[in-house]
Amino acid sequence: MDERLYDMIFICRPATPEEEIDKLLATLEHTVEERAGKVEKKEKWGARKMAYRVHRHREGYYVLLVLRATQGDMVHELERRLKVSDIVIKYMTVRLDEDMKRQKRLAQRREKKASRRPRAGGRTHGHGGGGEQPAAAAAQAQQ
Amino acid sequence: MADETQKETHPEQPRSPEPRPQDQPRAAEAAPAPAPRPAESRPPEGGRPPREGRGGEGRGGEGRGPREGGAGAGGAREGGKRGRRGFYRKKKVCRFCVDRVDYIDYKKPEQLMTFIQERGKIMPRRITGTCSRHQRWLAEAIKRARNIALMPFGGAR
Repeated sequence: MDERLYDMIFICRPATPEEEIDKLLATLEHTVEERAGKVEKKEKWGARKMAYRVHRHREGYYVLLVLRATQGDMVHELERRLKVSDIVIKYMTVRLDEDMKRQKRLAQRREKKASRRPRAGGRTHGHGGGGEQPAAAAAQAQQ
Repeated sequence: MADETQKETHPEQPRSPEPRPQDQPRAAEAAPAPAPRPAESRPPEGGRPPREGRGGEGRGGEGRGPREGGAGAGGAREGGKRGRRGFYRKKKVCRFCVDRVDYIDYKKPEQLMTFIQERGKIMPRRITGTCSRHQRWLAEAIKRARNIALMPFGGAR
């Protein structure tokens, strides 16, 4: 099966001791390995202010995981664990691979375009465009 | 070719050397004049961003002349200057296109914050000038950010 890329963000209660979060992370990572996935990135953003109150908390400890999954039920299992966990107040999983694919495609297209035409004349700047066109015409004439 | 370039530059010329036409409609101009700014920078618009955009008062204040000239010109629709050939509007450019953005990251709320109004609404395209594609991505990013409490759903609580 094809690989999928996910962002998994979860927010812990601000008062949670660091060890607990590490413990949770360890179990999550274990689950990922179990299901033949991979943890691409693990970021602890630390406590930061949330844009609105969640469970009466104004702050939350953010943790971001970027995961690569091959089995569909991996995310299910991870989300179940987050849901069950007492310290997690909010979590979200976003599938990213399609966005990334699109991003890559666009970048490639732009590259191709750039190589085809070294410098595109700006439409709005009449002078620049006017200056370039005769040059291009001259080049064609030479050929 | 020379003709073309001349034509293009022509409507811009009266901008600086000919302030006279602006003087007359100043009273009318006063209202829409600040309009182009909110597009670029949010802060000055203060207490009521939707007003100007929606065009209720802002548009009305422009008088009848501008209507015929500029309002029809699709993308650019901010109050502008009056030149020889009717109403001149500054064309807005999609900021994401300028920066060649291929993916709008929901994890950077600082950047997205400039595209919401103070009550948390996503700024409409007609005000920010964002192109449709980027507006679509932007909206999605903002919604994701809201979901995980990086951005507010409505106002600063």
